[in-house]
Amino acid sequence: MGFNFSENGFNQLLESLNQDYQIYAPVRKKNKDSFSANDLITYDLIKSLEEIELTVKSKYSAKEIVFPIRETLFHFVEGEQFIASDTDDKYIIFLRPCDRNAFKRLDKIFLENGPEEDIYYKRLRENVKFFVIECTSGFDSCFCVSMESNTVEAEDYAAFLRFEENGVSCEVNDQDLAVEFSSQAEEIKFEPQFIEKNKVEVKLPDREKLTNEVFEHQLWTEYSQRCIACGRCNTSCPTCSCFTVKDVLYDENKKSGERFRRWAGCHIDGFTEMAGGHNFREDYGDRMRYKTMHKIYDFGERFDFDMCVGCGRCDDVCPEYISFSKCINKLSTIIEEGV
Amino acid sequence: MSFNTKKIKKNAFRITKDREVTALRIRVPGGHINAKYLSLIKEIADEYGNGTLHITTRQGFEVPGISFADFEEVNKKIAPILEGMEKEIGVKIADPREGYPAAGTRNVSACIGNRVCRYSNYDTTEMAQQIEKNIFPNDYHVKIALSGCPNDCIKGHLQDFGILGMVEPIYHQERCIGCKACVDNCHKRVTSALSFEQERVLRDEKRCIGCGECILQCPTNAWERGEQFFKVVIMGRTGKKNPRLAKPFLKWASRDVVIAIVNNVYDYIERHIDTSLAKEHIGYIVDRTGYPKFKEEILKGVELNSECEIADKINWNGYQTGEKI
Amino acid sequence: MSLTAEKSLKNPYLSQKAEILEIFQETEIEYTFRLESDFELNFGQFLEVSIPGYGEAPISVSNFTDQWLELTIRKVGKLTDRIHDLEEGDYLYLRGPYGNGFDFENYQDKNLIIAAGGTGLAPVRSLIEYAGNNLDQLSDFEVLAGFKDAGSLLFERDIKRWRQKFDVLLTVDKTCDIWGECVGLITEHIAELHLENIANTEVIVVGPPPMMKYSIIEFQKLGVPDDQIWVSYERKMHCGLGKCGHCKIEDNYVCIDGPVYNYAEVKEIRD
Ligand code: SF4
Ligand code: SF4
Ligand code: SF4
Ligand code: SF4
Ligand code: SF4
Ligand code: FES
Repeated sequence: MGFNFSENGFNQLLESLNQDYQIYAPVRKKNKDSFSANDLITYDLIKSLEEIELTVKSKYSAKEIVFPIRETLFHFVEGEQFIASDTDDKYIIFLRPCDRNAFKRLDKIFLENGPEEDIYYKRLRENVKFFVIECTSGFDSCFCVSMESNTVEAEDYAAFLRFEENGVSCEVNDQDLAVEFSSQAEEIKFEPQFIEKNKVEVKLPDREKLTNEVFEHQLWTEYSQRCIACGRCNTSCPTCSCFTVKDVLYDENKKSGERFRRWAGCHIDGFTEMAGGHNFREDYGDRMRYKTMHKIYDFGERFDFDMCVGCGRCDDVCPEYISFSKCINKLSTIIEEGV
Repeated sequence: MSFNTKKIKKNAFRITKDREVTALRIRVPGGHINAKYLSLIKEIADEYGNGTLHITTRQGFEVPGISFADFEEVNKKIAPILEGMEKEIGVKIADPREGYPAAGTRNVSACIGNRVCRYSNYDTTEMAQQIEKNIFPNDYHVKIALSGCPNDCIKGHLQDFGILGMVEPIYHQERCIGCKACVDNCHKRVTSALSFEQERVLRDEKRCIGCGECILQCPTNAWERGEQFFKVVIMGRTGKKNPRLAKPFLKWASRDVVIAIVNNVYDYIERHIDTSLAKEHIGYIVDRTGYPKFKEEILKGVELNSECEIADKINWNGYQTGEKI
Repeated sequence: MSLTAEKSLKNPYLSQKAEILEIFQETEIEYTFRLESDFELNFGQFLEVSIPGYGEAPISVSNFTDQWLELTIRKVGKLTDRIHDLEEGDYLYLRGPYGNGFDFENYQDKNLIIAAGGTGLAPVRSLIEYAGNNLDQLSDFEVLAGFKDAGSLLFERDIKRWRQKFDVLLTVDKTCDIWGECVGLITEHIAELHLENIANTEVIVVGPPPMMKYSIIEFQKLGVPDDQIWVSYERKMHCGLGKCGHCKIEDNYVCIDGPVYNYAEVKEIRD
């Protein structure tokens, strides 16, 4: 069902949705990025259309809403374990097709990989409705078309929105929300549009030809020199799902504390460190290789699509100007030309 | 030739080795200049000077080789510079066609600041221009320089007032992934103000100099860029008599406080300057009155922000000539 | 906050309390803890072991029965230091078991050789016990165990017992006069093993990465095909559930697909 809202009308819709949902969207936080006087574009709660930042890509993705950067697994007191009870909070997340597709990757790991579901992810994920933002021109570093994550299927979203000069046109799939939408807008015909060509294109290496010989290639040695293992490419990535589990004791009472998890990144020191100090990937070029292979090969071997969605954030944030899309293309060329 | 050398000097011209010629000093408040003025300066150097330019340590230009006969004409010629680079930012200039109205208070210099530099905590040029507006023209000899961060690239530690940008880093444990990049960096490059205990970062406020490097290091923006503050170091100097580095006077001072104390300097000088000396520099006046007197007077009427810390005592040391090197 | 007991059962991150029944000293820094247990275990599986407040670590089960299980723990950090302070009657926190473990069917009626280096003996100890008690299910059985020095010898009491039933070739890297055993690296003694009928032989190699690498090369030299070699990998496993990513090597999650692999399947993979 398609609808058209004036700006006011859409704000009224948001207001009524806000009664039942926490609404997250990319916003602009004035002067809050790392460098002074730079704005931080990131996810936060919104109440009105004006707060949504649509002109720039967000530095971090919506991942942190469903897979928080730091999340308590349980508290303990005198050896008894207590998990925080579920909240009934429901969420609406505004996001672009790439980021919607990134959640499909997270779903694979947290809900399908291994013998059990991750209950912490699941209990948040179940309460999310996606509002996909139509994205037809993208940004400079995007390569979602090459990664086949420029499009979404109707079942992937509750609503699909086109932000226009004087309002919002959209399509609603979610039956619960349809009532809400239809009571406040006029019905129109709506056909979602998707970007068909990015400025950046990557050619994925031929899976058949991707042998371990390429692991020894000097391509990676270049990154040994360039990468500083800061981990920004991991933390900005909407599909990186790794985490570390840690315990803390609360200062006051050595008998109580919590076990929590927090994001981990395969570029960061300590990722493979075992008790006793042995590390499996000391070299930064090896870490670049490991990440690259995970994003465009390993994940796809286990599941039916690649992990990387081509959002380009890792390119945007790398302080050493390492471009992931360039790396993929270099790898393909090497493989084409024979290692 | 007959002219009043004092008047000439006040007009920003120099008495040089060569009796026939003078050199013109052009101020660049905040050290940032619209490139269009460079062509005008070039024109003056070619037409009136000897075709060369000297770039000064205070970020001005000196145009040597100008004949004394031409100085009024040169003043007229630089009117657009006074208009554009002084009047424009609010400096009171009665008649831009008469050249610089004073030369005592030196050009307020600044490092490149956050228009370019990643470390800078603020726009140094913009603030330097505001200070220039407040204190210029003035005959008293005061040197002020602004750096974006405690790296102090403009060498504020050699000035009467070195104003160094600070920022309050605000830690959000819920965004921290424990990578310790901030902790290691602070330990290696700054003051070891951070430690990692019970899986969280602790900041020792006493050691923290507000440089903001932790904010820059963090891969998750767990360090939020908080309010902007300043460290003010004072009474550093080169010079023949007792050269020395400036010492901290204020830490975590707000911008308003910094602006207010700089404004107050002139009344203090007025009251205590030894007029028998040729242009006594403020540092020597402070040596004479002592720091407590300086502190009392310069803080008069200044409403300190609650975070602001003030030095109880300052001992500059420096070195005295006559000591064995 | 509330204790949601019913949910706890479904929460794979929660541990269960297990009482320490007995503690055996193995070496100066390694102790075996026998804990009460009702886990259904396979040889070579591991548990996530913790003490709330001190963290969690993957530790392989070094032996088990229906009533108890044993964990052989080396003192290497915050958690294990704390564990070593515990006494009989104290508790450890366990969740699991995780990983595939050794499937005995793969060795049934075969000539089984187990080569273990140092702490690598722990994950195969339960399998050795089982094999020793069921020698009729194997055509031949032999263990080669190597240690750095006499001081790092594990399961001394077991080895003595094992030797009454089957061959255990023991070697220490450095001279040792305690048992008058062979001296030298494991790799130097592989040729002494009963490898007459290679076609019917299965070899298990477990130990530190360099020991595994060079032992495998030795077995290969003697003609053992890759698919008759089995390995068990140790990685940093934070979840044991295929979620945290720390144990991933290429498209393998060691915690769920391993830790036991047929070498033919993993010989190419690289960290
Ligand atoms: S990758 Fe870029 S172009 Fe593609 S959907 Fe995302 S933001 Fe739009
Ligand atoms: S690897 Fe880079 S381009 Fe791919 S999804 Fe992650 S951040 Fe986006
Ligand atoms: S790229 Fe690295 S951090 Fe990201 S999911 Fe893969 S292994 Fe984990
Ligand atoms: S962002 Fe760049 S420098 Fe940092 S870890 Fe990733 S590739 Fe290396
Ligand atoms: S750099 Fe950021 S994420 Fe890393 S330890 Fe410091 S605050 Fe935490
Ligand atoms: S231990 Fe977490 S994925 Fe294997």
